[in-house]
Amino acid sequence: MLHNMSRNPEEPVYNRIEEVRSALGLSRQALANIVGVHYQTIGYLEREEYSPSLVLALRISKALDQEVSALFSLTPIKKGK
Amino acid sequence: MPKKNKIYWFEGVTEKGVKALLNDENSKFRWLRPQRNRRVLVILMALGLILTSLGSYWPTLKTNLNLSAEVGIIVYSVTAIFVILAMVGCYSFLRIAVRSIADAPDELLDERQIAVRNTSFRYAYFILSYILMGLMVLMMFGPELQMFQPEGEDGSYVVIAALFACAAAPSMVMAWREKDI
Repeated sequence: MLHNMSRNPEEPVYNRIEEVRSALGLSRQALANIVGVHYQTIGYLEREEYSPSLVLALRISKALDQEVSALFSLTPIKKGK
Repeated sequence: MPKKNKIYWFEGVTEKGVKALLNDENSKFRWLRPQRNRRVLVILMALGLILTSLGSYWPTLKTNLNLSAEVGIIVYSVTAIFVILAMVGCYSFLRIAVRSIADAPDELLDERQIAVRNTSFRYAYFILSYILMGLMVLMMFGPELQMFQPEGEDGSYVVIAALFACAAAPSMVMAWREKDI
């Protein structure tokens, strides 16, 4: 499926990007500008419809001042934790 | 000094043009964004391609429809003008609808957009293979086609439609399949 741009649809990458971004008061556009992607790509990542490359995951983690392992997971993340 | 607008000759796009579409700089094209509108464009483009290729079989069609020479010329001319305008218009709108992602080089896109573009090209390649296969069958069993001949079936329309299809297919696939673009 093209809509599920996960690198491995059997094993999607879950994340807390939206939660952390909102807590920092950043808009999707602002985060997109920092990490150098289109704002829609941030939307796709937040909806877990696209799994980022390692480089992009590292860039997002740096921009949100989080460890990669705290931001991304192979198991579903309980939002708000 | 303003930055020079880089032209990508091979892809047929400019840096400023692609960036303007990616950044929604022109709000008057927002109506092209919804998937339903994009799909209507794809259907119109496909109809335009079919009508263009049928131009090659006009002499046979005219005979089958029992049209007189005068009526035939009027029908042919009006249809040709309409189809040409519709094709050029649809192709331009299609490129805008998909933000030129199908034609843009890697350096202007992010990793997801590159993945979407590459997937669209892959599907377009398969679709074009089937279309070419269909054309081959048509040429084998349909009326005999000749190139750029004043009399008889002129195969150049089929070739023009095939070339247009090659140019538009990735954008058509992307416009049809992508939820958000």
